[in-house]
Amino acid sequence: MSLSSLTKPWSATSYGFLDASAKRELRRKMLKAIAVPGCQMPYASREVPMARGWGTGGLQVTLTLVNPTSVVKVIDQGADDGVNAASIRRFISRVSGAGETWDTLAASIVQSRHRVPEEVMREDQILVLQVPNPEPLRGVEPNISIARQMHADADYGKLWLTLYEQIVRKGRIMQGAGYPSMVNGRHVMTPSPIPRWDVPKLNMAKHLTFLSAGREKRLFAVPPFTRVEPLVFSDRPYQVEHHADLTCRRSGVSGYFMNELPVDGGGSAFEVSDSNLGIKAIQQAEGAPVEIGKTWYRNGEFSA
Amino acid sequence: MLTVAPPDAIEMRANATFEALMWALSRPGDIRELPEAGLAAIAETLVDLECTVFSDDPALRAQIAATGALQADDISEADHVFLSSLEGAEARLVALRCGSALYPDDGATLVAQVRHGVGQRVRLSGPGVDGFLELSLGVSSGFWAMRAMLCAYPEGFDMLLVDGRSAIGIPRSTLVEVL
Amino acid sequence: MAYVATRGGEKAIEQAERLFRQDLGTIDANRVETIKQTMPYLIDRVMGEASLYSEELAALALAQTGGELSEAVLVLRAWRTTQPRITIARPVQQDEILTQRRISAAFKDIPGGQILGPTLDYSHRVLATDVLEGKPYAPPAVDAAAKPAPAQQPSLADWQRQQGLLAPTSEADVALEDIPDLTREPLLFPASRAHRLQSLARAETGGVLALGYSAMRGYGNAHPTVNELRLGEAEVVVRHPRGTEFSAGRVRVSQAEVTSKEKGGFLDLGFAATFGWNEVKVIAAATLDLNSAEAPVGSPVHEEFYLYHTESVEASGFCIHFKLPHYVTFQSTLDAMRDAKAQKAAAEQKGAVERQTEPAE
Repeated sequence: MSLSSLTKPWSATSYGFLDASAKRELRRKMLKAIAVPGCQMPYASREVPMARGWGTGGLQVTLTLVNPTSVVKVIDQGADDGVNAASIRRFISRVSGAGETWDTLAASIVQSRHRVPEEVMREDQILVLQVPNPEPLRGVEPNISIARQMHADADYGKLWLTLYEQIVRKGRIMQGAGYPSMVNGRHVMTPSPIPRWDVPKLNMAKHLTFLSAGREKRLFAVPPFTRVEPLVFSDRPYQVEHHADLTCRRSGVSGYFMNELPVDGGGSAFEVSDSNLGIKAIQQAEGAPVEIGKTWYRNGEFSA
Repeated sequence: MLTVAPPDAIEMRANATFEALMWALSRPGDIRELPEAGLAAIAETLVDLECTVFSDDPALRAQIAATGALQADDISEADHVFLSSLEGAEARLVALRCGSALYPDDGATLVAQVRHGVGQRVRLSGPGVDGFLELSLGVSSGFWAMRAMLCAYPEGFDMLLVDGRSAIGIPRSTLVEVL
Repeated sequence: MAYVATRGGEKAIEQAERLFRQDLGTIDANRVETIKQTMPYLIDRVMGEASLYSEELAALALAQTGGELSEAVLVLRAWRTTQPRITIARPVQQDEILTQRRISAAFKDIPGGQILGPTLDYSHRVLATDVLEGKPYAPPAVDAAAKPAPAQQPSLADWQRQQGLLAPTSEADVALEDIPDLTREPLLFPASRAHRLQSLARAETGGVLALGYSAMRGYGNAHPTVNELRLGEAEVVVRHPRGTEFSAGRVRVSQAEVTSKEKGGFLDLGFAATFGWNEVKVIAAATLDLNSAEAPVGSPVHEEFYLYHTESVEASGFCIHFKLPHYVTFQSTLDAMRDAKAQKAAAEQKGAVERQTEPAE
């Protein structure tokens, strides 16, 4: 044995940026995450050339998955052209040679911050959600060691109590995005800060979802056909945002999650948050041969 | 500012192997195709010096040693267990690590060569299975009874069953009924 | 007009980066070399926080980020991610360090003597404005001591152990590959001591100082006495595959031991070490280590609290991430708020109607 047998020929950066041992660690943890849906698996979380909190967790999962035949879509707030989405997509394609797309239907991997696309994801697709805070109990228990024990004991009483108190005080559950949800009847997870509108898309889905927090060094998964149930009381049904009747001022589509834009002189205008869905709708209206996939919501009603 | 190496053969093989394993565990009972037959490429994809590995195959042991992984003499020490057969393995496998409710990820990954499509018929249900799925596997009912005893969810171990280039995954979350 | 699929985002980020880099101008090997030669303590700080020892790469990181420290550390940590780990070096022993500065506040004199070494501690901190008026400052030559101090100095803690003042070390013979490594495994709590000290070694200097200082002011339970502070150079001793051990080079290191009260018949000892010379960091970090044992959960000296909050890359990254758009989450919050208001208004309206229709007494 010689020193050179211990290492490898020098190259400035490994394929897919992460070195082989980082990828193996992620692979091991991703398999465990699938095996115990919704349970946060700790991982070492390497530093990548982006600041923590900017999608480094999602990025590490994507970089472990990609190969030159992958096609990657990256969205931030539903938009492909958001500055950080553009930056992440460009980085992934630079270090992996993967194809880039804006079209949900064409993607093999969709990395996203804060949204699940409106078109139904297929069984061969992977959704990678960036997670700022993986701990649904953080609000009731900031100490992570205690929170971990609560998960071990399936002790979610404090969380239920918070939701109940909101109903008593405000008449409804005030949780905005990141609605805590029970996965496979055992672990409560945060679905990442996606709107309530998107949570049902994870329940008994065909696709595989990874959720990864690079800064907090935890990753978890929702395999296909897995129950994801928002925490609600039986007499207070789960409420998604009241967006069913809103219409996009640019594309004319309605019945999807919208961005609200304040307008001069009061009032608001709306634009569809899944920006490429809007683009495809416009192109279709102009006669271009674009395909819009089946959507999770039809006429504003969830119906997958 | 950034020069990136193209993927080499090892990288491509590990990437494809992982993809097969990932989908296998995501859809318990579905058959996924590995780029190479056998357990060696799976070891290459998953284990290195951070791991403690048990293997009953001397050739595979030598290969695992080269990754820097620690070799376990005792199954209870291993986070990855590679077996060339599950026949009569129940007595030894009772020692498999199942993690804890605090750290379910400490449960072992069991990779074993098992015939697909013959042997004991089982019905699978749980995450990844739309309703239920029935299949035959060369795994005895005694093994399944032992698994049911060890896997007190979320504790448990996860299985990758390999027959040539085919892989079937059965994570701890799957309910296995012996038919 | 059609919804034009502009690549506005991509163009904007490209130009914004160009603007930043244009302000810094051409970066060449000269600039990197100048930074390396003239800013050794800055280089040390960056290498410590990056947990990557290379003066040249640290200088390059400072050059290409214009001295934005958290960016420089991030760039180095990201580069470190891509490097294979070839081997594990032998642990550095205190009495093997080529010591240039070693002092103890616990005793007037110590075996081996107090070695002041290079320091500004006793200087008058006067700005050398003459330099700006065209009079370069040339430092006066150092007078060599009559008898040079030996390059290696004994460990004070060893002497204290012999005297029964410190608890004997358990001297567990841990194999090199069994030493936990924070960069390859997640930090879990309660943390192993190895993880705690590794995390402190790469912690952000200002953050460690802030929390260490809070402990010194009274938010901890132990007031530190510097048992030993040591700056020196350590050999990186690795084993060739054929079995011979050899030094692959030297790294500058700092380490501090702080002590306080008696505990269980012995003095309690807090420890910290880091790459490069950074006295403030190791004293503050050793103070945090010293105070952790009985720290209340959530206090600044509780290890989960200080390790999480002094992690430079995580803290700075999360802080700046709030610049990213959050309008989807905000929209979700707005919706719940408007709905609650509407429900309340409807309930009040209904109540008012019901009151009106109540039969008069």
